[in-house]
Amino acid sequence: MRACQPVAEGTVDRDGVEIHYERYGHGSPTIMLLPTWSLLHSRCWKMQIPFLARHYQVITFDPRGNGRSGRPTDEQAYGERHFAADALAVLDVTDTDRAVVVGFSMGAQRGLLLAAEHPERVSGAVFIAPAVAVGPVPARENWVEEFTTVRESYAGWQKYNRHYWMSDYEDFLEFFLSEMFTEPHSTKQREDGVGWALDTDPETLIATQLGSRVEADELRTLAALVRCPVLVMHGTADAIRPSASGAAFADLLNAALVLFDGSGHAPQARDPVRVNLVIKQFVDRIAR
Amino acid sequence: MNATTWPRAASRPSRALYLSSPIGLGHARRDVALANELRKLRPELQIDWLAQHPVTTVLEAEGERIHPASRWLANESAHIADEASGHDLHCFQALRRMDEILMANFMVFQEVVDEGCYDLVIGDEAWDVDYYWHENPELKRGQNVWLTDFVGYLPMPDGGDHEAFLTTDYNAEMIEHIDRYPWIRDRAIFVGGEADVVPDTFGGTLPAIRDWTDQHFSYSGYITGFTPPEPEELPIIRDRLGYRDDELVCVVAVGGSGVGRALIDKVVAAFPLAKKAVPELRMVVVTGPRIDSAAYPQRPGLELHGYVHRLYEHLSVCDLAVVQGGLTTTMELTAAKRPFLYFPLAHHFEQNFHVRHRLNRYGAGHYMDYAASDPDLIAARIAELVGKPVDYRDVESDGAVRAAQLIAELV
Repeated sequence: MRACQPVAEGTVDRDGVEIHYERYGHGSPTIMLLPTWSLLHSRCWKMQIPFLARHYQVITFDPRGNGRSGRPTDEQAYGERHFAADALAVLDVTDTDRAVVVGFSMGAQRGLLLAAEHPERVSGAVFIAPAVAVGPVPARENWVEEFTTVRESYAGWQKYNRHYWMSDYEDFLEFFLSEMFTEPHSTKQREDGVGWALDTDPETLIATQLGSRVEADELRTLAALVRCPVLVMHGTADAIRPSASGAAFADLLNAALVLFDGSGHAPQARDPVRVNLVIKQFVDRIAR
Repeated sequence: MNATTWPRAASRPSRALYLSSPIGLGHARRDVALANELRKLRPELQIDWLAQHPVTTVLEAEGERIHPASRWLANESAHIADEASGHDLHCFQALRRMDEILMANFMVFQEVVDEGCYDLVIGDEAWDVDYYWHENPELKRGQNVWLTDFVGYLPMPDGGDHEAFLTTDYNAEMIEHIDRYPWIRDRAIFVGGEADVVPDTFGGTLPAIRDWTDQHFSYSGYITGFTPPEPEELPIIRDRLGYRDDELVCVVAVGGSGVGRALIDKVVAAFPLAKKAVPELRMVVVTGPRIDSAAYPQRPGLELHGYVHRLYEHLSVCDLAVVQGGLTTTMELTAAKRPFLYFPLAHHFEQNFHVRHRLNRYGAGHYMDYAASDPDLIAARIAELVGKPVDYRDVESDGAVRAAQLIAELV
């Protein structure tokens, strides 16, 4: 059973795609927990929602491509600006003037777009293990070529490949979630991730990979526009995105940086107590 | 005005925060018994309870202080009921899937101890506190007591290698926690004796559970939470409860959740056969509030009740009980020396391994496999055992005192 039930939920039609949102708690300010890559959906915040909703109002929504949101087949529907526009539509439909946005991994890109281009709607931003094009790039940065190459067999990160996803989606998920949680004793977190990823399908996930992203030059331009307080958290044992990238992003944004020594890519799931306390400390400081 | 008070250290009363697992009602009664003994040793100790339904019903009846933050707790008992299906509850997986509830409740707990100036935290299977304080040791406040009546997750055989891998991994994490941060549990109390610990290992290359428990726990003996009647009291209590000398009373009790329906169905179906074999049989079925007793056929000698006040009294004087495999009820019957049939829930490792091992040690109860038991078999067992004298080992009656002594040393 869920630990906490939403006080309201609904869908908003955004450019022909249904976006499902939920609202928890009655406090202030409002925290919007942004969706990450559509591999996962809003349940990836399950360790934060009950705690934050006891102190603030919390809004989540499922990303286009997973959960209870629509699954467009056109890759253009998965451009980063669509996710940011979805967030604005959810803020509008819930009558939320401003929110602290919290983004995990890919969620940092949409969070950055919101903070930079809609400063009146964002009072602060928290980025956890941001997947952004800054700082040292992962060794697999030629991923577009890797993603589309047909191979005889696929080992390790070669499984991050559209053809492999179509032939053995679950094995890819097992691999990817084991990279996401490098900490020992993370069986439950990995199982959760695989389960949420199975709520969508490989065709949809391939489309999400081909949508436009925030590239390096644009990232710097956007970062220069951000005026709100920003906090970055990053695990030093992150096998998806190196913590040096998160540190460079924090530097670019003049943001506070909290390193989680020994944590993997998703500390909000594996070290939720500390993440919750860091978020609360940040929110309370900027809300004063 | 936003006013706060800081009490000088010398002005503070000695305070304990008590957490009692809400999964089943057994913990509540033993914890109240323990708290009463602790107050005898430390009369100045003020005890607050961070507790949720159904534990709060027991605490309210006892006039205990329930911390107001208790209202924020997410309900564990409802989750467990939600996880059960028929006579089946995969207890280990249900606990794993309770992760977000434990997380939510830990955050409530941490705020309470951060602000409460507690000298002592007592957690009777307070999984959230034990796990997250080991994961976040800098958050520990005060002296910490861990109580449990079983040690070690054990895989169910039909879970295969994967379930064995998972239980081993959970056990390994627990062992690593204790090895790395031995100062998180200031006292670990096993509610029972050394021989009550199962003879298994933690899995893989991990140690034997009994050896490890011996090194890391103190034993309090079992804590019943009530005093069984003396033999000379039995006729008086029976008379008060309306049970006649010329009838053989079989009490069927399945706890307060809806989980018991499957067992009641089978036992009620067995009643006509058992009554035929034993004409003096009177079957008293306690359905609990969530099962509709009117849905069952009416027969002479069979009665169904949604609720029975002081059920333990009925159990302590019955001629036979039919129950699930939970520790508290089966040990009450053991202490009261009543014959009983017990049906552990399928896939419930604690009931199938830990409780069964303990009952075997006391020579108590008659194990029944729910899936393999049809009404004919159940009727035959009822006829065979009802009113039959038993030869159980005595259940210790000083467990609460011993546990209280172990805790009192800390404050």
